[in-house]
Amino acid sequence: MKSFLRILGGVIVVILIAIALIIWAPAQRTSAKALDLPTSDITAARGAYVARAANCEDCHTGPGRKAYSGGLTVASPFGTIYSTNITPDKQYGIGDYSLDDFRAALYDGVRKNGTRLYPAMPYENYRLLSEADVESLYRYYMDEVKPVHDQPPQTHLAFPFNQRLGVRVWDWLALKNPRFKPPTDNPQINRGAYLVQALGHCAACHSPRNWLMASNGIRDEDAKYLTGGKVDGRAVPPLRGKDSVTTRWSQTQIAQYLATGRNAYTGAAGDMTSVVGNSLQHLSYDDIMAMSAYLKYLDAGTTEASAHSNDVPTKTQAMLTAANPSTPLGARLYLDNCDGCHFANGLGAPGVFPTLDGNPTVTAASATSLIETILYGAAMPSTQLRPERFRMPGFAWRLDDHDVATLATFLRQGWNNHASAVTAGQVAALRHKEAKPPLKSDERNAGRADQARAGR
Amino acid sequence: MTDKPFEGWRLSRRAFLEAAATAGVAMAAVPLHLNAADAPVALHKYQPEFLNVDEWAFVMAATARLIPSEGEGPGARETRVPVFIDRQLAGKYGAATDWYMQGPYDPSASPDRGYQTPLTPAQLYRQGIKAVNVWCEKRHGKTFADLDAPIQDETLTSLQNGRLVLVPELSWFFSVLLANTREGYFADPKYGGNHGMQAWVYIGFPGARASFKEWAMQYNKPYPLGPVSIAGKRA
Amino acid sequence: MARKAPKKDAVIVGLGWTGSILGMELASAGLDVLALERGEDRETVPNFQYPNEMDELKYAVRYELMQKPANSTLTIRRTLDEVALPYRKLGSFLPGIGVGGAGVHWNGRTWRPQPEELRLHSYVTEKFGQKTIPDGMFLQDYPVTYAELEPYFDRFERMAAISGKAGNINGKIIDGGDPFEGPRSRDYAMPPLPSTYDASLFAKAAKAMGCHPFPQPASIASQSYVNEYGMQLGPCSFCGFCERYGCYNYSKGSPQTCILDALKRKPNFAYKVKVEVLRVDLAADKKTATGVTYFDHTTGEEVFQPADIVLLCAFQLHNVHLMLLSGIGKPYDPATGEGVTGRSYAYQTEGGLTMFMPDHTFNPFVGTGATDVVITDYTTNRIDLGREGFIGGSSISAGTTNGQPIHSLPLPSDTPTWGKGWKKAIKQWYGHSMSIGSQGSCMAYRDCYLDLDPTYKDHFGRPLMRMTFNWQDNDLRMTQFMRKKIEAIAASMKPAVMQSSFKDKGAMYDVRPYQTTHTVGGAIMGADPKSSALNRYLQSHDVHNVFVMGAGAFPQNIQFNPTGLLGGLAYWSAHAIRTDYLRNPRDLS
Repeated sequence: MKSFLRILGGVIVVILIAIALIIWAPAQRTSAKALDLPTSDITAARGAYVARAANCEDCHTGPGRKAYSGGLTVASPFGTIYSTNITPDKQYGIGDYSLDDFRAALYDGVRKNGTRLYPAMPYENYRLLSEADVESLYRYYMDEVKPVHDQPPQTHLAFPFNQRLGVRVWDWLALKNPRFKPPTDNPQINRGAYLVQALGHCAACHSPRNWLMASNGIRDEDAKYLTGGKVDGRAVPPLRGKDSVTTRWSQTQIAQYLATGRNAYTGAAGDMTSVVGNSLQHLSYDDIMAMSAYLKYLDAGTTEASAHSNDVPTKTQAMLTAANPSTPLGARLYLDNCDGCHFANGLGAPGVFPTLDGNPTVTAASATSLIETILYGAAMPSTQLRPERFRMPGFAWRLDDHDVATLATFLRQGWNNHASAVTAGQVAALRHKEAKPPLKSDERNAGRADQARAGR
Repeated sequence: MTDKPFEGWRLSRRAFLEAAATAGVAMAAVPLHLNAADAPVALHKYQPEFLNVDEWAFVMAATARLIPSEGEGPGARETRVPVFIDRQLAGKYGAATDWYMQGPYDPSASPDRGYQTPLTPAQLYRQGIKAVNVWCEKRHGKTFADLDAPIQDETLTSLQNGRLVLVPELSWFFSVLLANTREGYFADPKYGGNHGMQAWVYIGFPGARASFKEWAMQYNKPYPLGPVSIAGKRA
Repeated sequence: MARKAPKKDAVIVGLGWTGSILGMELASAGLDVLALERGEDRETVPNFQYPNEMDELKYAVRYELMQKPANSTLTIRRTLDEVALPYRKLGSFLPGIGVGGAGVHWNGRTWRPQPEELRLHSYVTEKFGQKTIPDGMFLQDYPVTYAELEPYFDRFERMAAISGKAGNINGKIIDGGDPFEGPRSRDYAMPPLPSTYDASLFAKAAKAMGCHPFPQPASIASQSYVNEYGMQLGPCSFCGFCERYGCYNYSKGSPQTCILDALKRKPNFAYKVKVEVLRVDLAADKKTATGVTYFDHTTGEEVFQPADIVLLCAFQLHNVHLMLLSGIGKPYDPATGEGVTGRSYAYQTEGGLTMFMPDHTFNPFVGTGATDVVITDYTTNRIDLGREGFIGGSSISAGTTNGQPIHSLPLPSDTPTWGKGWKKAIKQWYGHSMSIGSQGSCMAYRDCYLDLDPTYKDHFGRPLMRMTFNWQDNDLRMTQFMRKKIEAIAASMKPAVMQSSFKDKGAMYDVRPYQTTHTVGGAIMGADPKSSALNRYLQSHDVHNVFVMGAGAFPQNIQFNPTGLLGGLAYWSAHAIRTDYLRNPRDLS
């Protein structure tokens, strides 16, 4: 009995010390890494490019708000999180941040006053940023970004998620070593790795998350790195391993997709529209080629033959071409809704209309993206090299749940595709969801046109 | 200018329009398929938006002669052409909203000078139907709608070739009526005519499908698949 | 009192084909450019989206994409002693409106003129003598040659995504193309569209008669395409809803598919919609323009927009109207023969023959705007004009563009127009008929011109423009010549029924049926300021900072669709502005 009480007392003391530490121990800040660039190269202009690559503006600018003044809603499983004002405003932004404060936000997810940022801010990935990039960003935000004296809505999650101390525990469990490790001797692949792992933070969406909702793959030595994720209940495709387009596309095709939001096979849709539109289209040719070289490197030796072969017309193509009155409903729906752009061979047109035959969005295990595309359409971003904003209209008004399910099943099983059927129930679940918020890049790009239209 | 509507018509029309507005909002979320539950109201029960009772009777009768029901293929009745015409006259087309309707006018100008009457299509019908009925009453003791079919045909022929003399302002009446009848027969069903796409099925026009890349080089082979409407209905 | 807006380097009136080309060329040169469009903004999605666009009543019959006469129209008379009456509803021609203009709803047929056509006066007098030119005909050389324009034709064709087969590359005649065309520096960028059944039958018959059929060059992509601005088109789906419609699948060339998304990215380019230019404002000495005054339909205010350069890029009729209203150039008076603005209005001479062939099945709804097979064996440079007794020529072609039943359902002429017989006939003949047509030149004449109407006004109280035009003997003889040629080809195809529709001597211009929207002239280009409104760079002879684009510049109409020529001229003019005018603004002639 006595030893039990002693042990219990010991455990209680340990717990109390731990709680005290969690509450009162000063926030640990990851120290600066060695600076590998001459100080004269650390300029605001360089920081502007880094900010583009890291795509800060997309999250830190809410609809209708000035650049970097926050206010974008991020739906999380724990409630709505609002992005913060990171302009150099002294009251509502980061105007009073030192370089160390700034670095801590990026590496450790810690604010100047010690409170934790929710990991909606991808500091898990930005932890890998070089010191040169951190300092360049700091120069950009302090010297070039216009201060916006405006407080965006504040995040208030429900208990217990409003206890930011919980984030401290999470950080302690989830955050990994901040050193970026170049994977090879090849400078192009290494640059690509850095862009993908750190600045591009692709893993934030394209890697799965573990039970802690921490990313289950920050860098390529992690087994699950870039093997596919889930955002907003929507499956995010893998960029590595089987079923990933990167094994099927050439480096050039990957590069075209990144730079212009389109290639011979498909067009960017969903969240990638704004990633390409606001970030990737502004990267240099060398950086785009580096990223695509790295993505090819990840699956070196595992390139699959392209699923496309229109030398031998498929049965589907023959049936669609014949256009008999006995055409089954799925094919009939295709002729009445899709054939005008995607054609009887299901191959669309390179660079313009995505292929459906062999398109991973069509045949993914989760049909969510496909159903939403049929219902709500899609839009390619306008980019410098390929400015045309191709849009697919939505068909939610024209097709009922049964029609969409029949059509989606036809697409997933037609031509050379082999995927599961879709039910009307799956469609209904997506249809009655709240209408998707406007695509971020549509706003940004529309802003340009609106400016043009307003004759400023 | 307007004839007295039959009792209760105005009230029920307003109620109909209100009901249609709320139904439209409720139905917008769920696309419709043609089924028994939303089959359109029978022609003899249809509440016109523009035409009064006599005008409706005239349009029903005249269009039934212009595109008769007899013989192979649907007629104006089956395709609900009168509904189309009524709705067109109640809208922008009837009001000539897009046309230049400033004077001075020269309605006696030769036909190749174009449309020179001060009357909108809605007014053409209103005054033209009255004038034709007056002529029929004088000649046969009945309005057009009450005449036997062969006499109706004779009347329309006289209207077309000018033996039925109308004032110059009405000289366009027959050609507009005939054009509107054909439009109602062949237009997309969303406008109230071409019911069930029957006219398209009859001649073999695929409607709104508009996708035939693979058929460009299929020579001398009839295209077999039936039409689709803009709303997505199939026939 | 108009509000004064901040000055722009260049203001463009009308954002259609030429407005978009000049906008891109001048913005790329660093100018601060503002385009003013009186219609609405238009984008493929949502404005032309599938399937809503597939609406014959709305677009082909009620003319949704066209100018509404209630907002803008003109009066028309045939002779000097008729009183002009308003063009109250659309018929004969269909002017466009909205961003993209007629470049949205055209059929895509794109041609170059024959070299002889650009120097037609010299060609006729040299080859056949001055006496060939009848009294009352105004025949002029263009002040620019085919050779000078060739690189600009090529530029326009590559920008506008033309599919076709060249017939003459640097003098070498290529089989399968137009053997009588002017020399090209290279082939088209895309192979021609496939021919439909009726076009293939015509090709066979024409070839058997010794003619040289070739596919119609078309601003309709036959495959994926990228132009110099990075703009893209996809392959055409042969949807059968081309002319009078916007293209739903990005395959028809238009400002939307070829220029605008690239142009809108430029921070020094801006445009406004629903703003209507009332006049070009001139300085006190009338030698330069100070800008334009427009009415903003959205705010209800009048605005003066100052600019260094004014570019009139609206449709031909509207450009001439603006010049008349603004006092640019002396208005033409047929009584004296003096004046230049409004002079030499011309149209296009067309005819056609329909054949009814019960043993052949055509699917008329399978078509593009330009699926024709064409022969140019009876064009201007092929005909002994002296012997035949007319000046001009035509292309002859066959090919389905659509089978839309309200307006494209040809029936034998003895079919009753209504009743049982009509109903029987539409089933009997739909899909069993085809047509062969001719489209040809229309000369300019002393009594065919544009001026301001004395009676009718628009809703701003401005006088409408008045068109005086009728068919003249010269062009009627030419079209009857084509009739004989077409009837011979058609007869060889052994149709069950054949009926011709060609205007004959004494024909009066009928404004009711649609004929063509190729209205040209009224602001013609020429070397002599006494007989032309513009110089060879489309610069006004009278107001040197006003440039007027479009087919108004044609001294007489060419045989072909005008877009290829006016597109080449737009690039030619832009080049002169960029490389010469900007560094030293002055009369460039």
